[in-house]
Amino acid sequence: MKTIKIAIFALMASTLLLSTSCKKEEPTTNGNGQVTINLKHLWGMGTDTFRLNTTYIHPMNGDTMTFSTYKYYVSNFKLKKSDGTWWVHPESYFLVDLSSNSSSLLDLGALPIGEYTELSYTLGVDSLRNVSGAQTGALSTMNNMFWSWNTGYIMIKAEGISPQSTTGNFAFHLGGFSGVNSTVATKTVDFSSNPLTIKKDKISEIHFNVNTAMTWCTSGSCAGTSSVMMPGAIGHQMATDFHNGFVFDYIVE
Amino acid sequence: MKYFFLSILVLTIISCKKKNDDDLAFQLIYPSYFPTPVYNFKNNELTKEKFELGRKLFYDGILSSDNSVSCGTCHSQVHGFADHNVNFSSGVNNLKGTRNSPAITNMIWSPAFMWDGGVNHIEVFSVAPITNPVEMNETMSNVISKLNNNSEYKNLFKIAYGIDNITDQAMLRALTIYMSMMVSCNSKYDKVRQGKVSFSTDEAEGYELFKQKCASCHSEPLFTNYQYKNNGLDSIYTDLGRGRITFNANDNGKFKVPSLRNVELTYPYMHDGRFWTLEQVLEHYNSGIKHSATLAPELASGLPMTADEKKKIIAFLKTLTDYTIISDFKFAPQ
Ligand code: HEC
Ligand code: HEC
Repeated sequence: MKTIKIAIFALMASTLLLSTSCKKEEPTTNGNGQVTINLKHLWGMGTDTFRLNTTYIHPMNGDTMTFSTYKYYVSNFKLKKSDGTWWVHPESYFLVDLSSNSSSLLDLGALPIGEYTELSYTLGVDSLRNVSGAQTGALSTMNNMFWSWNTGYIMIKAEGISPQSTTGNFAFHLGGFSGVNSTVATKTVDFSSNPLTIKKDKISEIHFNVNTAMTWCTSGSCAGTSSVMMPGAIGHQMATDFHNGFVFDYIVE
Repeated sequence: MKYFFLSILVLTIISCKKKNDDDLAFQLIYPSYFPTPVYNFKNNELTKEKFELGRKLFYDGILSSDNSVSCGTCHSQVHGFADHNVNFSSGVNNLKGTRNSPAITNMIWSPAFMWDGGVNHIEVFSVAPITNPVEMNETMSNVISKLNNNSEYKNLFKIAYGIDNITDQAMLRALTIYMSMMVSCNSKYDKVRQGKVSFSTDEAEGYELFKQKCASCHSEPLFTNYQYKNNGLDSIYTDLGRGRITFNANDNGKFKVPSLRNVELTYPYMHDGRFWTLEQVLEHYNSGIKHSATLAPELASGLPMTADEKKKIIAFLKTLTDYTIISDFKFAPQ
């Protein structure tokens, strides 16, 4: 008897829930679309894709720089729905490595169809994953983006040669995830004035321009600093400049 | 009289009904007066298979660039898992680092690792020696590819972690499981605490002196408070210690307070292995304290001790030797 009562109650409750949710939402809430983050790497105000093993002149400090390594972490993608709730991309860790040309396309996979007004992402790896022990995938220590002696992920690693450097080489490993010199930053892009509509079985693209020269816009010439290997004020400044060079461009639905 | 109970933490799910000795050997057992470990096994449940795999890795030169150096080279069971009584252990190509290899028992209670506390998690610890040019001089990807090319390891990782492709995460976790079992808790000191035996007169007096003079830093029951202190070794620091990690001048010259368990076996002492005997260590605290900006205030006028007091403190320190852990066959290479 008691069980029947409970069952009836549960049935009523669920129909109630179901009917209220049906009322609020638009008729087409079923199904998934897809979204990708498309990164275009540029040097300064140039329009050509930035590439490794190509010689560039820095637009501000005039240094000649040829890069052999350019890789960085971007993580924790989230999209805000027009009802104010967030869709959170699971296990959202990407290592963008310009030595492989496919890595400028970040696939966030499937997400429910509907209208989205804001994107949130983190440049670098959030502090939780920096203190949680051994990780896999993009966060594997095999990617050489991990400081073993002062635990933490490197946010960006840029290496190469420059005649302005006293050693002829430069190596910038910018990292550190806590305190005033943290190199990790969470950013948002608000496109509520022109929302992104995820459509059933369609792939939408969110495009970013990454001005790779920005990192050196405050720190100055490699003649002064050609190597950063630990957290600190210079690393923080250069990381902030890098963050400012990572800019939303447009959406393709 | 107090009664002591061993708290038995069963982290393994034992499927068979009756427990035999073998099952007991692969549970984490520590006394009730120990705190809860920092490492919680949440994503890395303790099993016999992981332990045995971790042990094999710990003693295998495959983790080093020329296959000559293993973790066991610098952390030897008979010395309480510290070095073989050298101040600086030799890594690949006989290169030497600048710090003394410490005892690595009771690591799951440590909130941070290395003399300067630079490593924040036991699972990622092993990346440091493996990739250090003066220790194992390897890359993580090369170690993992060597393991993936080894059919025995492939099989063992499959059994322990259910994976076909060996990952750095699984390797690091297996080493963690092996180290997690290195619990040193069966010294005479422990037996006294458990009411099984009693101290000699010298040991008992030494214990009282130790509590007055040393226990503010070397706190019971693990004989460290895990803080960073400058115990007056130098007035000019060649090694910045904690300051190397925090970049804060107030931390220069400070080092992690080491546990004193098995201290009789782990000489030479201090981060650079400068003292070879406990007598020298006590003489340092008695008369050798060097002043500098970050010196621990309680050491400002030294810790004056008579010859008799030093002798008694040393008698007490020797009650921290745990003959069970240094002779337990389960930790030996096999
Ligand atoms: C060449 C010698 C050498 C080798 C090989 C070596 N170690 Fe060490 N180990 C040391 C030294 C020296 C330290 C102290 C390092 C420091 O503080 O800078 C240390 C520290 C440690 C610590 C931290 C102890 C504490 O109290 O913070 C652990 C844990 C450890 N080693 C485990 C391992 C493991 C696991 C391996 C194998 C993957 C290994 N070691 C290989 C020499 C070595
Ligand atoms: C203010 C905190 C403090 C006090 C008090 C203190 N110590 Fe220490 N002790 C340390 C620190 C820190 C180290 C490591 C220093 C280093 O290597 O740079 C250390 C190292 C040692 C070592 C070397 C251990 C090893 O494995 O290398 C011994 C032995 C030792 N202390 C014994 C004692 C004794 C005995 C007393 C009391 C007479 C005492 N300490 C008091 C902080 C303290």
